[in-house]
Amino acid sequence: MAITLSVVFSLSLLLAVLVLDQFFGWQAKDLINQRSDFFMDSMLAVREYTTKNVNPIVAPLNNGPGIFRPEAVPSYSANTVFDYLRAKPDYKQYSYREAALNPTNLKDKADTFETSIIESFRESPSTTSVSGEKMTPLGSFHYVARPIRIGKESCLACHSTPDRAPRSQLLAYGDSNGFGWKLNEVVGAQIVSVPQEALVQSKRQSLLATAMMLMVTFVVVGLVTNAVLDQLILRPMRRISSKAEEASVTPASVSFEEKVRSDEIGLLAQSFERMKQSLAISMQMLKDRQKP
Amino acid sequence: MGWFGLLGMVVLPMVMTAVAGCSAVPVARTPLCGPSGSLRVGVMDPVEGRGSSRGAGLSSEQRESLGKLLTVASGCQVELEPLDSPERARMKLAARKWDAAFLPPGLTAFALRAELGYTPLRPLGLRQSSLSAVLVGEGSRLRHLSDLNGAKVGLLPRGSLGGFYLPLYNMHGLSLGRVSFALDYASLLAMLKRGEVDAIAWDESMPDPGPAVRRLQVDGHAIPLGSLVLSSALAKADYLPFLKTLDDAAAQMPESIGYSASGLPQQQKLQPLKAIVDNVESWSMPLEGQPHRVYGRKITS
Ligand code: HEC
Repeated sequence: MAITLSVVFSLSLLLAVLVLDQFFGWQAKDLINQRSDFFMDSMLAVREYTTKNVNPIVAPLNNGPGIFRPEAVPSYSANTVFDYLRAKPDYKQYSYREAALNPTNLKDKADTFETSIIESFRESPSTTSVSGEKMTPLGSFHYVARPIRIGKESCLACHSTPDRAPRSQLLAYGDSNGFGWKLNEVVGAQIVSVPQEALVQSKRQSLLATAMMLMVTFVVVGLVTNAVLDQLILRPMRRISSKAEEASVTPASVSFEEKVRSDEIGLLAQSFERMKQSLAISMQMLKDRQKP
Repeated sequence: MGWFGLLGMVVLPMVMTAVAGCSAVPVARTPLCGPSGSLRVGVMDPVEGRGSSRGAGLSSEQRESLGKLLTVASGCQVELEPLDSPERARMKLAARKWDAAFLPPGLTAFALRAELGYTPLRPLGLRQSSLSAVLVGEGSRLRHLSDLNGAKVGLLPRGSLGGFYLPLYNMHGLSLGRVSFALDYASLLAMLKRGEVDAIAWDESMPDPGPAVRRLQVDGHAIPLGSLVLSSALAKADYLPFLKTLDDAAAQMPESIGYSASGLPQQQKLQPLKAIVDNVESWSMPLEGQPHRVYGRKITS
């Protein structure tokens, strides 16, 4: 019986773990998607702040004789803020890119994979976000991407033609990249990516913690059940059994005290008590008959 | 219940939990990553002011395949940053924003400064010797460097050896009328021919500028090759497997980078030039479109 119980417990635990594995997988992906959305929204806010609050102050400097100050560039501030964010261990795995087909800074040049995402945004303007898996030499990554659209005339000061851009910008980035952008055109994409390994890891952690908790619960329940069964049923049964054994030889000296109990053990004891009494009577009758 | 049953109840679930937890085993390797968690690599054309094409002289396919090669070699996510402006590259180096960089000679000399602590690994670029010169128009009345007082001068941005540090070093003490910058020698030459400037920095290994110009001065220092450098943090780590992968793939690297798998960095040739770079770096710096007095303590070696 003990072995059957433990097998039942273990099988239900295994089933629970399998179901939870699936569930935590969804949950981990959901968390990563949520975080990615939050990152991209935050980066949009940083861009907005740079355009509205920083650029008016720094732009005159960039038109002067000094070197170009990228602090006035929305994309630069977003990337810099993200770098600071990534210094926190919780976010270390995340990476953020503002990839463009024709970027100002060639580090933002869309690779083949990113180009296909940007092209798909350009073809279907109603798509606001895509996510999925991509393979790299370092393994598989989960990514979430959103289009970058030129929404403001102010962007075109630096991204339309070289002669509109500050001279210092041309000296810093050259005059052949990041120009010719049009109002309302999708020029690139915000892309957040996380190694699949991180997803698996976070899933595994939740799973392990839950499985441990389940196991401890099962074991405690098992031990308690065992103790209760032992106290209430098994031990009285053993007592009744040994008394019944004794009663088969000397019924008169045996008493089934358990008969006062109101449960099935009590019933059993009462039955044995009746059987013992009949046995005692039968034995008495036998003795009487033998006396001539 | 017997002990055997209890044991089964505890051990069996444990085994199952362990099995469920270990479905994915991570691959063991020690990636060569920078402090940011990725490998940030700066890429400059190793030949200064060549300006063959934008993006460190690399096509986008070449950049993508170089990025892949570096990813495989380091086992780390690579952020490749190709730049054309030595000035911006200089700022990246000064702020230690790059974990590794493909650099031309001027920036190599700058990166090796003690306080930045980059380590050179391999020489870059094919040209064996080039010289820094100052050109003026054929008909110019300027005869000597000292005639440049009050003249309009075109230079490559700060960070270039042949187009910035050496000419400024030689112009020490002069008061220039105006300094203008361009990203490559061809643009400087065009400015000179258009008469926007009176004199420009030039590199003798560039294609012949033609009869419309004349050399005002040619500096005697042979300009060394550029270099692949590694940040001090990574140079302390085990970077040899990384270097070996690059060496083995030298043939696949873009030709313009001129990666030499067996070459050793030209430390000796660089030494006197490094002293000049350090010296000029301590002076006041010219600004685009402004007059400039080339001023500071000159150390002659
Ligand atoms: C002051 C000039 C300036 C303004 C105004 C400006 N940008 Fe840029 N932008 C730049 C520069 C310079 C870079 C490269 C920054 C870097 O080094 O990462 C850049 C980078 C970008 C990038 C990343 C891809 C690339 O080209 O490297 C995007 C996308 C972008 N800008 C979009 C915009 C949008 C949208 C606006 C309007 C809200 C805008 N920019 C306004 C100068 C500007």
